[in-house]
Parts: sequence; C-alpha cells; structure tokens
Amino acid sequence: MLTAVAPVGRTAALAESRVAPDFALKSTDGRNLRLSEYRGDPVVLAFWGSWCGPCREALVTLEAIARETGTPVLGVNLDGSADRAAAVVRSIDLTFPNLVDGQQSVARAYDVAKLPLTLLLDREGVVQASWSGAPVDRAELIRRLETLRDE
Amino acid sequence: MKPDMNESTRSKRVCRACLVLALLLPVFAAHAESVAPESQRVDQDVQALKKQLIELNRDLFRLEEELLYPASTQVAVFLSVDVGTFFALDAVTLKVDDKEVANYLYTEREVQALHRGGVQKLYLGNLKAGEHELVALFTGKGPHDRDYRRGTTLRFEKTVGAKYVELRISDREASLQPEFVVRQWE
Repeated sequence: MLTAVAPVGRTAALAESRVAPDFALKSTDGRNLRLSEYRGDPVVLAFWGSWCGPCREALVTLEAIARETGTPVLGVNLDGSADRAAAVVRSIDLTFPNLVDGQQSVARAYDVAKLPLTLLLDREGVVQASWSGAPVDRAELIRRLETLRDE
Repeated sequence: MKPDMNESTRSKRVCRACLVLALLLPVFAAHAESVAPESQRVDQDVQALKKQLIELNRDLFRLEEELLYPASTQVAVFLSVDVGTFFALDAVTLKVDDKEVANYLYTEREVQALHRGGVQKLYLGNLKAGEHELVALFTGKGPHDRDYRRGTTLRFEKTVGAKYVELRISDREASLQPEFVVRQWE
C-alpha cells in the first residue's frame, strides 16, 4: 500500500546513481510513451495518486518548472483508473504527459513506497536526485537541472 | 619631434617582431610536423580500439545468446509491418503454451520505425522439443479509426534447430482490412 506522508525531505526510493528502469505506458491522452525515448535530456519523473494531497502540490510545482525551463516532465499516476487520472490532469491544467500505471508494475520497479515521489534523471537516464513523501524543492530542482544542462 | 620618435619606435618594434617571428617560425613548423603525425597516430589507435571494442561486444553478445538460448531450445518471435494502412498498432501480447511471455506497448516512434521496414525481436526464449502453441494478440485502431483487437494462433513443432517465428501485419486490399500473418523459419 502506498502512503502519502508528511514531508520527510529527500529520501531515495530508487537509489541515486542508478539507471532508471525503462518502461512504456499509456498517457491520459491516449499516447504510448517510453521513458528511454527522452534520453539526451534531463527528465523529471513524478509518481502521484489522485487521493494524495501533497501530490497535487508537487504536480503544480512541476508544471511551473516545465513551463519555465522547458524540461520534459513525465507524471506516472498510480490510481489504476485512467479516467480519474485524466480528471486530475484537467482540474489542475497539467500540460506535461501523465502516464497511467494501472498494474503498478512501474511503481514496483521504482520501489515507490511514499507519494509523491519525484526523480530527477540526467541525460543518460541516471537518477541524480529524488524527493519522496514530500513536494519537490523547487529551488533545488531548478538548480540541479541547470547543473545537468551545463554538463 | 615626438611623432617622428613614435614612428621610429613603432618601426623598430615591427622589425623586432618580424625578426622574432622569422626566428620562431622554423621552430613552430618543426613542432607542428612532429605533433601532426603523433596526433594522427593516436587518432588511428583510438579508432582501431573502438573497432576492436565493437567486435568484442558483438562476440560477447553472440556468446551470451548461444549460452542462454542454445539452438536446440531457442525460439525467437519477430514482428514486422508491411504497409499497415488499415491498422494502427498499439500493443502486442504474446502467449506461448498459454503463458504470457511478452506484452509490448508501441510508441509512435516505434510504429514509424516498423513502417520504415524495421523488424522487432519481440521475444527470445527456450522451449523443449515438441508441439507448442503461440498466440499473438494485436490491439490498435482498425479501419475507420475503430478499436481493433485480433488474435492469431500458430501451432508448431520445435525441433533440434532454432525456431524463428515472424508476425507480420499487412493489408488485405480486397477487403480493406488488416491481415495478421504468422510465418515460421527454421
């Protein structure tokens, strides 16, 4: 059972410096997307559930970062219902793709224990930072994104 | 007076610079001559090393495949698309002897690659010699953008050699419908 918990700061779900496992899922707009197709750019991966309050906060922050920096952000919804995920996407006006992990197979591969979980992947798909059980630290994420872009 | 002095100083400086340049030019030229072949040789070595690495990687890949999937038990399933105007591929589920062995979701880019003639290795596994059943379930959009789901079955005999199966999505022009063909290769 996944839990949304009070902020605990940065704790790793999938260990940092590990290559993020590849996956393909259907997005709320019906497209199939594969993580490895984003290689070459730093990517933000955000696991969320519609029942998790801090997740919405995290999604709003990530939407602002995606618009501001042009960074690809991929949301992964763990509700098991594409309709419910799509309703949340519409309600907070998310423009980045949100994928539906109905079987929670991707969540298992990433050892997701707490939501929200935000991972920052570098150009090679290696986990460089993670924020688990708390909304992402906007300033730190932007700073780390800039560092990754300059590399 | 001053302008004349400046003029003379400038010409002296120019002369000195020319002299220094003339003296150093042969030194630079000799250095460049010695550096050029050296860097060229290093570049050639790096290229040769890269080539060896690629060959080694290929040999290791072959060895791994031979060890993990010996010909006596090897079964590989490939997917290809021929034209495919009547079917937009979304996913393929593959079952061997009623056990799901592959479930692949295709992105737009992957579908485009298949349309350009790409062949995908969908499954590689081991099966004992004897009779087996392979079921492939294709989902996607059919004619008139309708949801389309079609299964195709192949019963085959696994012999001592490696077995290759090709799943091919093509167009049946006469009925304006997609066609799912299964072919076996020994």
